[in-house]
Amino acid sequence: MSETNGAGGAGGAGGTGGNGASTRTGSVLVALFFVVAGVVTLYDTTTYTDIDSKVFPRAAAILLIVAASIALVGDIVRGTRETGFGQGDWWRRILLIVAMLACCLAMPITGFLPAAGIAFDGALIAALHERWTARRAVIYGGSAVVLMGGFYALFRYALHVPLP
Amino acid sequence: MEAGSFLAVLTPLNLLLALAGVAAGTLIGSIPGLTATMAVAVLVPITFAMEPASALILLGAIYTGAIHGGAYAAILLNTPGTPSAIATTFDGYPMAQRGEGDLAVAIACFASVAGGLVGALALLFLAPPLSRVALAFGPVEYFWLAIFGLSLIAALSTGALWKGLAGGAFGLILSSVGVAEVSADIRLTFGSQTLIGGFGVVGALIGLYCIPVLIDLVAVPERHLKMADDVDTMPIGSAAGLVWRSKLNLVRSSVIGTLVGILPGAGGSVAGLVAYSEAKRNARDDQRFGEGEPDGIIATESANNATVGGGFIPTLVLGLPGTPPDAVILGALLVQGVRTGPALFESGGGSIAYTFIYGLLIATVLMLPVGLLIGRYAYRTIVTIPKAMLVPSVAFMTVIGTFAIHNSISDVTLMILLGVFGWVVGRFGFSASPIVLGLILGPIAEQGFVQGWIIGSAIEDLPGMFFGRPLSLAIIAFTLMSLCWPAFAARRRARAAKAGGAASVNRSTPTDGGTS
Repeated sequence: MSETNGAGGAGGAGGTGGNGASTRTGSVLVALFFVVAGVVTLYDTTTYTDIDSKVFPRAAAILLIVAASIALVGDIVRGTRETGFGQGDWWRRILLIVAMLACCLAMPITGFLPAAGIAFDGALIAALHERWTARRAVIYGGSAVVLMGGFYALFRYALHVPLP
Repeated sequence: MEAGSFLAVLTPLNLLLALAGVAAGTLIGSIPGLTATMAVAVLVPITFAMEPASALILLGAIYTGAIHGGAYAAILLNTPGTPSAIATTFDGYPMAQRGEGDLAVAIACFASVAGGLVGALALLFLAPPLSRVALAFGPVEYFWLAIFGLSLIAALSTGALWKGLAGGAFGLILSSVGVAEVSADIRLTFGSQTLIGGFGVVGALIGLYCIPVLIDLVAVPERHLKMADDVDTMPIGSAAGLVWRSKLNLVRSSVIGTLVGILPGAGGSVAGLVAYSEAKRNARDDQRFGEGEPDGIIATESANNATVGGGFIPTLVLGLPGTPPDAVILGALLVQGVRTGPALFESGGGSIAYTFIYGLLIATVLMLPVGLLIGRYAYRTIVTIPKAMLVPSVAFMTVIGTFAIHNSISDVTLMILLGVFGWVVGRFGFSASPIVLGLILGPIAEQGFVQGWIIGSAIEDLPGMFFGRPLSLAIIAFTLMSLCWPAFAARRRARAAKAGGAASVNRSTPTDGGTS
């Protein structure tokens, strides 16, 4: 998943201190998040009643804190080679994520198919880089209905998954 | 090994069932979220009305097809269709990105068939003796096997070892969220009902591998995969040649898959990871694992399909299912009135056991044409479909596939959030693979460790428990080799490069001297 066409482009464009500093900030923040996650895990283990429950998460938390701290120090001292979030439209990424999460929120209220339609339509709008035409709308809309209907039928009636 | 059993398989109905089972299994396995276990479980009731032999042939064919089907999504979408295909993504997706997706799919098909045949032949000829391996593995060996799997992080994190270890440790912590396996304490839920069920492996796989790809795909207008010059034909000859040239890797990985399959609870994902680790450790200097190396696909796919036959060994001989689908098939066997045990291979029920094994062998062979045909259409569909249809279709499948695991909307929400998290941390050098490794191997490691700890404490010999058993020591040795190998290989390459540089200097020096 390191297809960094976009990322590479960003890095290439920003091989200057400014961009490098921002990407280092990102790496440092992620490493810090892992350290904090390790500390929170260690704290959480103090609430367990059984020693058997504590041993494993504690060992993993200590490993996480040590490894993330070393990565953190390495990022600060040596800098990083990461190139940030890469090129591309942020609104498309956000629309995709929001549409998928909205699908989860809507599912108990609207049922599966309308909720999945929100995710499908949101993802379609996010991924469509060409101009909308009437022909495209008919083809994509029709394909969406066939695909969602087909999978709904497969899961609901053939595989007996109780879709809401 | 009765000739009658073989002939019993060769009825038109049984051959048709084997073919249909492989095709259905391959299609189901290729959909992220639908696992081999689910494929077998869903179709078990259909088999109750069948003759026992036909029913078992159908179930075996579905199982082996589903394990293979996981490779398609792994190669073409960077999302393992089943957990067994995790390591297939490491090299399969990079190959697809550079326009060799059809070759990768064909290689996966050949490797799956070869691995499946090795596993099934081991089941046919060596079932009773090999079943003892399952009994030789205690909790401590499982613990060390999980640690061996985790050592793959070192190989996967070239240049970013500490980030890889941090990701692996985070995955281990994620695996402990929810109800503790041994003592039933509620861990790391922070009062949330949603988290009590923990992070499911399949949902996490879909989230961590698929959502980041979708987020990257929508942002830019470029095509999803580079298209090959000819998308209408499969490079079958090239794939067969590559697999044949890697026959040592193929055999080694298939044997690993068979042996890991024998171990109850380990399964195809562990087999694939261990085989990948070994293939990488034995790689030539010019091989670049993780960047689209065909040997990576060969190792994983042959190993995970070999677990099918391997897993049936303890299932049929000891009544201990080697993998989750084996447990479902064991249930079907009992319903059909087949009693498992060593006697199954000696008398009475032997004929049905052999009919099943021959059926599995034939289904595995049929997987070659079926897999290549489905692979061809899967590849052509994925590379030619417009991005504006591919992304919403995959997004929809991630939602419905994740929901289907536990019929839970919370699982879908966790999958999406984990995917966004994986995308963010992946952009800063913390790759998703170590997190997934930790998540998968965490429960195996914890259960083995805690049980080993309890037994060791009871016999007052903890060091002996963890470090005194021959099998444990062998796995520890492999783990150390796997951990140290990347550094050793890098040093060897540097030394070779230096020697090469010195040699070229030496070659030029006499010439200079000669002229002077």
